Amino acid sequence: MERKQPDLVLIVARSFATKLATPTLIIDANGNLVYFNDAASDVLGRSYLEIGTLHASRWQELFQPRTLDEEPLTAEQTPGGIALLERRPVHDSFVMRGLDGREREITVTAFPLFSQPDEVVGVMSIFWERPAKS
Amino acid sequence: MKIRVWGARGSLSAPGPATVGYGGNTSCVEVELADGTSLILDAGSGIRELGQRLLGREQGELHICLTHLHVDHVEGLGFFGPLWRAGWKLRFWGPPSTTATLRERVSRYLSPPLFPIGLSEAPAEAVFEDAPREPWRIGSAVIEAQMVEHRGPTLGYRIEDEGRVLAYVPDHEPYLTAALGDEPKWISGWALAAGADLLLHDSQYTDEEYLGRLGWGHSSVTHAANFARAAGVRQLAMFHHDPMRSDRELEELYDQVADSLRRDQEPPLIAREGLEVILG
Repeated sequence: MERKQPDLVLIVARSFATKLATPTLIIDANGNLVYFNDAASDVLGRSYLEIGTLHASRWQELFQPRTLDEEPLTAEQTPGGIALLERRPVHDSFVMRGLDGREREITVTAFPLFSQPDEVVGVMSIFWERPAKS
Repeated sequence: MKIRVWGARGSLSAPGPATVGYGGNTSCVEVELADGTSLILDAGSGIRELGQRLLGREQGELHICLTHLHVDHVEGLGFFGPLWRAGWKLRFWGPPSTTATLRERVSRYLSPPLFPIGLSEAPAEAVFEDAPREPWRIGSAVIEAQMVEHRGPTLGYRIEDEGRVLAYVPDHEPYLTAALGDEPKWISGWALAAGADLLLHDSQYTDEEYLGRLGWGHSSVTHAANFARAAGVRQLAMFHHDPMRSDRELEELYDQVADSLRRDQEPPLIAREGLEVILG
């Protein structure tokens, strides 16, 4: 039996996200999407149970993030990617395509999850869909 | 590996006629490894009597693995005989902190006004180290420590000695992390307990009590049984008994736990002072 298990901070972050009514997404230290909550499902267009864990390149491909000027963003350029790689909080807006096919502008606050002063185990991204322009 | 329970009570010592059967001393478990190395899990009030017995032995090195520093897990240190005799070497392992060393944190209890004598006055050689993030060796055993869900930084321990495994998770509320009911790897403490021969686990509350104490850091007996099932342990020992729980009440909870376990798991134990289990 393989006993490997995520760090407790990531486990608790995921558990916290299940209880939040604000759209929240968790990625691990390798950039893999390991959870998003029900509120996030409304923005992303599918539930976590339908999608499951996604490799970093795969979720970037699925959601097609782009700047507000329509420039493509790599996973490393999204707020979650910057928070993970640069170990700092990020607040930004970008455009993405939900799995229901609908384009959305979202504003994200992403911050790294430190389990030790020198160890980042993942990133929590809390986001909001920006109101449609009138 | 020989395991002996010196204290199985949680939160507060609870002596008296109603608890004399399972004992009123707080958490302390002695583990004698296959090569004779002595390992002590937590330093609750049960460590006082263990210390008296150790004083009859030749002086040597003892390893004391602290899960966390709540009073019921360190309150016995001031009366632990080997700490107050020159010639003993005590190696303490415990949870890391971003604000103070393990020695500084233990000293907060072993210093005035909470205790009249400071740790620095203890004649024994006391060494304090944060438990390593990776498994490490003590004597013939491989020790693994991981943070688990409880109030404040708290470790659980897994001790593997000659192929047999003891898991010790006395203060733990895995229910808070098991909300999705998905893969067990997302349940706090799972990797420590997975496939263990014996799991000493927090069983503080009845199901009814837990409803009013959600987030206090402990398990109901049903949650303890569910955790033991998820981890596939061979045998669960109910541990960290509520100080208000009488012997009779503990025994009334036993059937509920036994019924919640899988058929291929051995009947549970109620940890009591003096309980000895030999693995291997």
